[in-house]
Amino acid sequence: MTTGFAAGLRASDVAPGTVVTVVVGGQSLCVGRTLDDRWGAIEDVCTHDGGDLGDGELDGDAVECPRHGGRFDLFTGRVVALPPVVPVKAYPVHLDGDEIVVELS
Amino acid sequence: MTIQTTQIQSGGLDATTVAQISSGEPGWLRELRADWWGTVDANPWPTGAEEEWRRTSLDDLPRDGGLLLDPPMATYDLDPELAARGVIFSDLASAVREHGDLVKARLGQNQTLPAQMPFWGRSLAAWTGGTFLYVPKGVVIDGLLTARTSLPSGTFTYLPHTLVILEEDASATLFEEVSSPDGQAVWFGGTADVQVGYGARLRYANLQRLGDGVWRIGAQRVDVGQDANVTTLNAEIGSAISKVGMDVRMTGKGGTSRLLGLLAAGGSQSIDFNSCQDLIGSHTTSDLLYLSALYDAAHASFYGVTRVRPEAKQTSSYQECRNLLLSPKAGAEPIPVLEIETNDILRCGHGATAGAIDPVQRFYAQSRGMTAEAAERMIVRGFFERVVAQIDSEPIKARVLDALAARIGSVEEEAA
Amino acid sequence: MAVPNPAVDKVPTGYKYGWHDPEMKSLHVMKKGLSREVVEEISRIKGEPQWMTDLRLKAYRHFEARPMPTWGGDMSQIDFQDIFYYVTATDKAVQSWDDVPDYIRRTYDRLGIPEAEKKYLAGVGGQYDSEVVYHNIRADLEKLGVIFLGTDEGLQKYPEIFKEYFGTVIPPNDNKLAALNTAVWSGGSFIYVPKGVHVELPLQAYFRINTENMGQFERTLIIADEGSSVHYVEGCTAPAYTTASLHSAVVEIIVKKGARVRYTTIQNWSHNVYNLVTKRAVAYEDAVMEWVDGNLGSHLTMKYPSIYLLGERAHGEVLSIAFAGSDQHQDAGGKVIHAAPNTTSLITSKSISQGTGRTSYRGLVKVYPGCHGSKSTVRCDALILSDEARSDTYPYMEIDEDDVTIGHEATVSKVGSEQLFYLMSRGMNEAEASAMIVNGFIEPIVKELPMEYAVEMNRLIQLQMEGAVG
Repeated sequence: MTTGFAAGLRASDVAPGTVVTVVVGGQSLCVGRTLDDRWGAIEDVCTHDGGDLGDGELDGDAVECPRHGGRFDLFTGRVVALPPVVPVKAYPVHLDGDEIVVELS
Repeated sequence: MTIQTTQIQSGGLDATTVAQISSGEPGWLRELRADWWGTVDANPWPTGAEEEWRRTSLDDLPRDGGLLLDPPMATYDLDPELAARGVIFSDLASAVREHGDLVKARLGQNQTLPAQMPFWGRSLAAWTGGTFLYVPKGVVIDGLLTARTSLPSGTFTYLPHTLVILEEDASATLFEEVSSPDGQAVWFGGTADVQVGYGARLRYANLQRLGDGVWRIGAQRVDVGQDANVTTLNAEIGSAISKVGMDVRMTGKGGTSRLLGLLAAGGSQSIDFNSCQDLIGSHTTSDLLYLSALYDAAHASFYGVTRVRPEAKQTSSYQECRNLLLSPKAGAEPIPVLEIETNDILRCGHGATAGAIDPVQRFYAQSRGMTAEAAERMIVRGFFERVVAQIDSEPIKARVLDALAARIGSVEEEAA
Repeated sequence: MAVPNPAVDKVPTGYKYGWHDPEMKSLHVMKKGLSREVVEEISRIKGEPQWMTDLRLKAYRHFEARPMPTWGGDMSQIDFQDIFYYVTATDKAVQSWDDVPDYIRRTYDRLGIPEAEKKYLAGVGGQYDSEVVYHNIRADLEKLGVIFLGTDEGLQKYPEIFKEYFGTVIPPNDNKLAALNTAVWSGGSFIYVPKGVHVELPLQAYFRINTENMGQFERTLIIADEGSSVHYVEGCTAPAYTTASLHSAVVEIIVKKGARVRYTTIQNWSHNVYNLVTKRAVAYEDAVMEWVDGNLGSHLTMKYPSIYLLGERAHGEVLSIAFAGSDQHQDAGGKVIHAAPNTTSLITSKSISQGTGRTSYRGLVKVYPGCHGSKSTVRCDALILSDEARSDTYPYMEIDEDDVTIGHEATVSKVGSEQLFYLMSRGMNEAEASAMIVNGFIEPIVKELPMEYAVEMNRLIQLQMEGAVG
């Protein structure tokens, strides 16, 4: 029994090496697909200034905040580059056919 | 009891409302209101980029409430003998009717800090209440002048404007207190324009005990004349969001000002003060002391600027902001700024602290047999003593302590 | 009363360029201005790995997109297109001694700077003759496993370390000037100290024989591994003359568990320079990071050395001296971010403004929730020596944890007439007495400088005071 929530996105909507913002289960998340086709999701918030990561980029395995360049690991939510210091929550992602499913529990 | 407000069709205050309030008022006042509304039109809201507004967002300000037309009248008790000597102490509307020329000459003549202008302008355009105090030359008022307002229940906008004028060598103590019930979304202003003349002496205390749904966005401008002596006190106990700008201008040589503040906040209150102590005249003194005790998830910001102008010689200033954080989610941002443009100063400095109660103090109190809660109450009460001790008037002190007790708890029964 | 300052009269205007180049090296077109092509060219000439080229280009994109800061000093005169962004070691501009302003030449004489060092500082000599000294030091360090190279060489030789740390403390998009530096950086120092190694001798920038020492866009990366310690010194008190008017360096420092790093800078750039620097360190558990920051020169300096205390019991200190004479604005300070429990910090700032100079202290103490037991003290004192000078203090505090002790105190004062009178009654003239008082004022920080800097600093202050009173 899955605790996953459908992201309302298809795999084909997300190009490799990019991250997309989507609301899943009432939360705003950044869902990313690395260049080598791994999927992850983190909370859509930059803990440095409280704003969202919205227009951020995926840099390798890390989501980069557009305002000051802080980076969070897509799979663990750990801070990879300052100025944020507090990590964000990360959620596992899997594909159900072409549907993207995020495990929110 | 239903309150009487203007019928606002859509989205709050506008030029029509301003014209509405003004029907029946003398022509000069109608014009004054319209002129001030004009400034609001040109500069409607802070952008949020201003240093003074970075820490408080106005997104959720309740803007749609009708304007309170019939505010409950505070009682303005004045000894007839003083009235005979020319002292005027009444609500602003009565003053307009009974002393029109005097009010016309002094109302709405001043601006304030750019960051507060959108709200100053609104008050001057749409005031429907407030206090008028005029003390003529040489008149010394020993007793306390009190203006206490209890706002009714309901959702509304109320922007009272207080105008205080002390002529040469006058002396007075004014205490304004406002309260309102909890659970009501209200936009309360509270602006004050205070002019203290040559050699005059003013004590001006403001006690705010507004309900937990109130947004209080106020401003105070104080002009301190030559050799004048002014003490102001702002005691902030209530409201959901409180944003006040203080604009203190030491224009006259030898003037002195003491700016005191007591903030006690809990819940998820947010108190945000900004001040400007502008030392323009030589030999002026301005000291500021703001103390806050923060519980639960309350947050206090303080952005204070001390500016010493190049031509101000031998000035003396100190700005102090101290914050007691009494629970893990409480937070403080004290930012005391100095902009000093001359070296010919007697004394200049500032200090800011934020943190928990000193554990040694706490241990000492508890080792005396006090419970943890009682110890905390006593220590917080002690923390506020530096300001409380400077309140000369016993009745004001009593009212302020009473209001504080509601937040910090009563210490009387613990006194050994 | 306006204070005469020889510096004002001699500030070089315009961009003068004197070639003195015995060897012609590779062919590349030298042109002013910044573009994608210039960034690519820089990377190509250096023979960098693709990931560094990509990073430079990304940073360039950010630089273009970002507006200039609207706070701090006046940067309206900076023209980013009127700058040469790359000069190789061999065809580096070598000015003629005649171009060096008088006030600088006089200061060298008064400070007793040796001939060769003078020429080096003035950018007239391509090399500082410390070849022998440098090689000996290198041999000693190598034995300890310490890496101390120019940043370019560091990238070539240790790309894995670079990739792991570069841009993690100051990411390319941190601010506009950091983005610029990340796009066009060249030169700077790369230092790695292995676990448990204590480097006794302070490492100094000009030990490395590299004319990029006074480069405009230096990039420094220092990693002190667990339990190690090192002291790095940059710059010098004697004024450095350069025609390049924009200096925008980036320094990233990682202080691992139990390690200790001190980074000392004495900056005395000529008065045509805009010195806009981003310096930041991260300190982990039980680590100690100290910034000693002396700002004496430049037309405008904006610099706020920062420390992120990321591990329990980490400690950070910023000791800052700023001196602003006429036509100068030192906008400096320090930032400490408490992001772990029981962390401590101390910021001490002493600033002096004279003539029409302006010093501004700008700082931040931020405490995140959960950082219980943290303590921070900030002490800013400003001395204003003339009635046209100006001093500002902008201390920000964001305290979101209750179980902490955070305090800030500041004073602004002038030289007391009683103090002056007392010293003069002891036989000193006004300049000597003032110098003594000023030296006393900055003593708590000067005593943290390596000996020769402290001596030079005191003499420099004396010179400045003579100029002020004379």
